[in-house]
Amino acid sequence: MKRREFLELTLVATLGSLARPSFIYGRGQKETPIKILVLGMDGLDPNIVSRLIKKGSLPHFERIIARGGLAPLGTSIPPQSPVAWANFITGLDPSGHGIFDFMHRDPENYLPVFSGTLSEEPKKKISLGPWVLPLQGGKIKLMRQGKAFWQILEEHDIPSVISRMPSNYPPAETSQRTLSGMGTPDIMGSYGIFNYYTTEPGEINPDIGGGRIHQVYVIGHQVEATLPGPVNTFRRDRPEASVDFKVYLDPINPVAKIVIGQEEFILKEKEWSGWRRVHFPLIPGKSISGICQFYLKEVRPHFKLYVSAVHIDPSNPALPICTPPDYSRELVSQLGLFHTKGLPADTSALDNHVLSEEEFLHQDNGFLEESLAMLEFELKRFSSGLLFFYISSTDQRQHMFWRLTDPDHPSYDPQLARFFGGEIERIYVQMDELLARIEKYIDSRTIVIIMSDHGFNPFARGFNLNTWLFETGYHKLRNPWIKDKGSLFEYTDWSRTKAYGLGLNGLYINLKGRESQGIVNPGAEYENLVRELAQRLESIIDPVTGKRPIYRAYITREIYHGPYLDRGPDIILGFNWGYRISWGSPLGKFPSEIIEINQQKWSGDHMGAAELIPGTLIANRKIIHPAPSLTDVTATILDLFGLRIPVEMKGQPVLKIT
Amino acid sequence: MGKAKIKIDKHLFDKIKRYASLAGYSSPEEFITHCLEREVAKLDEAETEEEIKKKLKGLGYIS
Repeated sequence: MKRREFLELTLVATLGSLARPSFIYGRGQKETPIKILVLGMDGLDPNIVSRLIKKGSLPHFERIIARGGLAPLGTSIPPQSPVAWANFITGLDPSGHGIFDFMHRDPENYLPVFSGTLSEEPKKKISLGPWVLPLQGGKIKLMRQGKAFWQILEEHDIPSVISRMPSNYPPAETSQRTLSGMGTPDIMGSYGIFNYYTTEPGEINPDIGGGRIHQVYVIGHQVEATLPGPVNTFRRDRPEASVDFKVYLDPINPVAKIVIGQEEFILKEKEWSGWRRVHFPLIPGKSISGICQFYLKEVRPHFKLYVSAVHIDPSNPALPICTPPDYSRELVSQLGLFHTKGLPADTSALDNHVLSEEEFLHQDNGFLEESLAMLEFELKRFSSGLLFFYISSTDQRQHMFWRLTDPDHPSYDPQLARFFGGEIERIYVQMDELLARIEKYIDSRTIVIIMSDHGFNPFARGFNLNTWLFETGYHKLRNPWIKDKGSLFEYTDWSRTKAYGLGLNGLYINLKGRESQGIVNPGAEYENLVRELAQRLESIIDPVTGKRPIYRAYITREIYHGPYLDRGPDIILGFNWGYRISWGSPLGKFPSEIIEINQQKWSGDHMGAAELIPGTLIANRKIIHPAPSLTDVTATILDLFGLRIPVEMKGQPVLKIT
Repeated sequence: MGKAKIKIDKHLFDKIKRYASLAGYSSPEEFITHCLEREVAKLDEAETEEEIKKKLKGLGYIS
């Protein structure tokens, strides 16, 4: 597949020609003697939970723990969410399920690719004038390998509902009710691109990842603008589909009417629209439907309108987001429209000053409330089997607000800290309130498991892996004097390069026979180089702090032995407390400094060595293992239902049922 | 498929004619078309790499 087809082709599915999963499983019907409720709270940190329990802030967590227990939960290496949740889903390690990072590299061209999904263009197409029409469906393929635990439950007729599970887009084949989570794209096929319309574009950096800034003009109390949509793969020239819209400003009051397609609504300044449907025309008589939120940030003196990423419309999903295919429609009919993009919180808009802290929280609390309504809806009909429900806000708030909890953080702002310094604590309290809200659905048959994929630590300093490889001679550039100008290795001389960094924790060897321009011979040369690099990386000292930025450099082949080892890096970096990969290195950039200060609002992270940032396991049954890990929870679920644990699974049961 | 004409410097065209013949192209037009297609493909590729970056950046972890 060419790079240009990377994501755009997914839209071929909009003709309804996408290959639908053929359901080979029958939905579980069995009445089980127990019910298992698993709440996945992304990034819930065991140390913060313990601290807040001591403070008396989490009474409902405390009650569950009093009946069962709390333990640090061993996370994945690396402790990235797609990797960790895939460990839990399959009971396998990354070499067994094939997910090592948010992004992998294509060894043909050294470019990043999404690790979880592959889009394939339809093989047969017909050209009609400006149109290119597929004769058969394109495919979106889940790259995660291994059987999901709910598929095993289904084989034993045990029902389950899996809501917003990360690393499960498109959803694994099943007729159990599942809704995809982290990894589900927006309508553009991206991780999320907002649009911001302003008469004052100079105040915002125009080159924002995750957003587009549009200059608009107020003429006669009107603004005319365009909302960009997906690439129209039905046209030979592949333009972006788009919808024009108009904003009519009240000449006196800070109020505006927005007219877009069939939608017409009035917003006051500082008001959110809720979900609005938009239709992007593709071919005559056919359009793709998405949903987005409008926020009228300012009417005067400057006009400022924020439009969220356009999510896949759950009432008419153009791409597969659920099983069975009508599940999302059922949810809409009961609950109204809801977010479908994997990580809905607009961290890019906050990081780039398009949304303020208050506006970001307002939006994310709305997403959280949608999730809680969905959880309650499912709990009301939860009579047997397993219900898994995932919450992303715990993770996203810690990423964005860590800076305001720590006066030593480079992004600490005392003014903002006065108002938002308690946001991390607040989201933990919100989770406690969630437990209070669902308490009435938990009967004596219900085993409650609260789990997270990893903990959290500050991200104060960033390590430029590629710059270090260049400075130490392992990576060669054709024109090093402009090294900090390019990205995606555009100045790399692969004929002399031994190693490169890509993704959030990965170091790859330019291996002969694997990489297209590999120069390092397999065998002794490769083994010696990997060992040498791991040792050197672990011995680097940050001259400013005196600390080692890299706490562990894991040699992948020493810790993993599964069939998908070749998808992953050769060395996985485990950063020290306070450190992370830099902003630029993951996409093949070479910034000037090896270690840089992080001054972004994105200020907490979890790219550390696994032993430094375990996740959390809480249950209302005794935890009998002193050091459980993610794959143990998978084994525990199967064991609780009396099922045999497959030999390939890594874990063992860790709960005691009395 | 429609055709369009473009103007090219006479001296350059003479060179193109010579090299097209040497390289085994059936005509200077075929040689020019091939060269232009190759260059346009490079630009297409570059644009797409930019798109890849933008789409990944929405993830929040990278810039």
